[in-house]
Amino acid sequence: MQQLLDFVSGPLFRLTFLIMILGLLRTFVLDLWGAWDAYRRAGDKKLAWGDAFSKTIQWLFPVRRVFTRRPLYSLFSILFHVGLILVPIFYLGHVQLWEESTGLSWWTLPHFWADLLTLTTIIFGLLLFLGRLISSEARYLSRSQDYLWPILLVVPFVSGYFCANLNISPASYQVFMLIHILSGELIFVLIPFTKIAHCVLMPLSQFIISLAWKFPARIDDKIGATMDKKGVGV
Amino acid sequence: MRIGLITPEEREKAFKTPKKPDVIEKQKLNVRYHVEDYEVGSRPRRFLEAFAVILKHTNYRFALEHFIRMSAKCARCAVQCPVYLATGDKCDIPCHRSELLLSVYRRHFTMGGMFRGRLFGNGYLTDDEIEEMAESFWNCTACRRCTLECPAGIDHALLTHLGRFILSEIGIAPRALVVSTREQLEGATGNTSALPVPALQDTLEFLEEDIFDDKGVEVKFPLDVERSEYLFTPAVSDFLMEAETLMGIAAVFKATGGSWTISTNYYDAINYGLFYNDRILERVIRKLYAEAERLKTDSILIGECGHASRTARYFVPIHCGGSKAKPVYNIMEYTHKMLEEGKLKLDPNVVTETVTYHDPCNIARQGWLVDKPREIVRAFCKNYVEMKPNKTENLCCGGGGGSVSIDEIRPYRTTVGGRAKADQIRETGAKYVIAPCANCKKQLRELLEDQEVDCEVIGLHDLIYKAIIFNDKDINKPKPDKED
Ligand code: SF4
Ligand code: SF4
Repeated sequence: MQQLLDFVSGPLFRLTFLIMILGLLRTFVLDLWGAWDAYRRAGDKKLAWGDAFSKTIQWLFPVRRVFTRRPLYSLFSILFHVGLILVPIFYLGHVQLWEESTGLSWWTLPHFWADLLTLTTIIFGLLLFLGRLISSEARYLSRSQDYLWPILLVVPFVSGYFCANLNISPASYQVFMLIHILSGELIFVLIPFTKIAHCVLMPLSQFIISLAWKFPARIDDKIGATMDKKGVGV
Repeated sequence: MRIGLITPEEREKAFKTPKKPDVIEKQKLNVRYHVEDYEVGSRPRRFLEAFAVILKHTNYRFALEHFIRMSAKCARCAVQCPVYLATGDKCDIPCHRSELLLSVYRRHFTMGGMFRGRLFGNGYLTDDEIEEMAESFWNCTACRRCTLECPAGIDHALLTHLGRFILSEIGIAPRALVVSTREQLEGATGNTSALPVPALQDTLEFLEEDIFDDKGVEVKFPLDVERSEYLFTPAVSDFLMEAETLMGIAAVFKATGGSWTISTNYYDAINYGLFYNDRILERVIRKLYAEAERLKTDSILIGECGHASRTARYFVPIHCGGSKAKPVYNIMEYTHKMLEEGKLKLDPNVVTETVTYHDPCNIARQGWLVDKPREIVRAFCKNYVEMKPNKTENLCCGGGGGSVSIDEIRPYRTTVGGRAKADQIRETGAKYVIAPCANCKKQLRELLEDQEVDCEVIGLHDLIYKAIIFNDKDINKPKPDKED
């Protein structure tokens, strides 16, 4: 068991983490490259930068939405995301591991907050899952990944919480730890190739919408020529 | 915002196809609008070919890529779409509408899709899918309200726009729009209403006389005056249907001494290209711009029309030289400026009825013209009330995206598309609803009639015409007594 744990927390961790980072980098760069290419071809390069920027901020920190639209859903979503982002990065145990292997360390969440945020993420993740099940619109749209993600994301939080807080026997501790690490690694690997890639693409969205309406100049003849319709009337 | 679902009877009326069964059979297309005959065979293959060519020469690909990576299927957009809220049909949820096109893109134009296709087979595009798109993309009014609400930043109106573009390249586009555009670009009259020049001149002379009779002021519609500051181009239908709007605009120019002209060579700002085909959009824009160059005007001024203003404003720079292109304004910008500079005086005691203001999606959604029109209205209307929601979050009149020009779908527009708007207007209890847009005016009139709302649709300059105060030196004869 210990050997298995060593393997998943060592080489396997490094591999999956690398896949995530490289995958996200690729997605982000491709997205940005597409946008740059579109910008280069645009007939008019005047973008509403300020407007796109303020909308981006509003979406990254969608606090106002709680008071305006779909309050419950917005609130659940925010509370879910806060823990989801903060705990893995700033949990003391994680930071210590990083320090041991790389020498780098950073600010950590106080224990109380780490626990609380873990619980909120679990609770609101499940509530979001339930919401998806209850809403007939969401059910109509959902693919399987949309149901699986909230569940999968909650697994390392539940197992992590057990390991950190429960007085459990060393054997079961190891089992939970294994689940904790493996599920985390599965998430790492899947992130770049699924909708969770929004974790890096989100800030680009509003710029992309406004750029998307900046068409290239004079496409009529080019499209007409390629389609053998040049000069053909309306 | 609450919208009641349509009743079964309304549903039947709204979705009844106006086409004869044999036409549907022949065109293989069961949709609610008429389509000119087109090549029906191997439709899916031609759709994909057109899609590929468009992707090659345009900028859509990067946005599609972003959208397929981001789509969260969270259903937030559902609560913002007036169409879905009225029909309650799941296939009207914006994200579903977009997915129709995104799934074709994913299957046929991405590495992953093609790979998966090879391995498991994902089906070739089918005729049924094409028919579903042809129906769905014209259910959407392209109002872009859903875009406000999508955390993933998916612009459904852009996808509707692209979907219609591809469809029109294989011959599927509403006949009403295609026929008008053909006349505008290739016909003898050169405009969408087929209004010949003599009729235009007659109309304008008639309006000049009317203004003189009303106000005792000689007001001219200047024709073909080179080197004017503004080339004024309204939606051509205004010459036929919105006399008061034009009289109001002429009056504003008279009172403020502005330098403007109307061209008798080209006098139609309507650009249906925005609604169905980018190539048409480009041709119309270039035609408009050529006129401004021919008359050597400093800028282009579009009348009270949302889509015409948006297309000219945002596509003149794209197709006619970027930042060096002549600037484009909407008439309300001119009027607002004159009001601010104190050159325009309006009598606050003329319009005493309750008025409300409808934001046309095309000029309000992106925040271009939201406060200026309100400042103009507030300057002389005492009883001004707002609809809710308004400004950038306004509700579409229900005739957006070109649907208003398709007469055969009026029942759809006035029971589904405009349902929310009718309630909103009814709630204000206003006597007048100001709609500074040719399309909105037509749709709102039909909507208020069909939904039995007691309110009059009016242009902003129609109201200004009532309240404008001319300079003493301009008045030749005493004002005729006001009729009571
Ligand atoms: S653009 Fe308007 S009508 Fe079309 S899907 Fe979005 S909200 Fe609905
Ligand atoms: S709001 Fe955006 S991500 Fe959510 S369902 Fe609608 S289109 Fe999809």
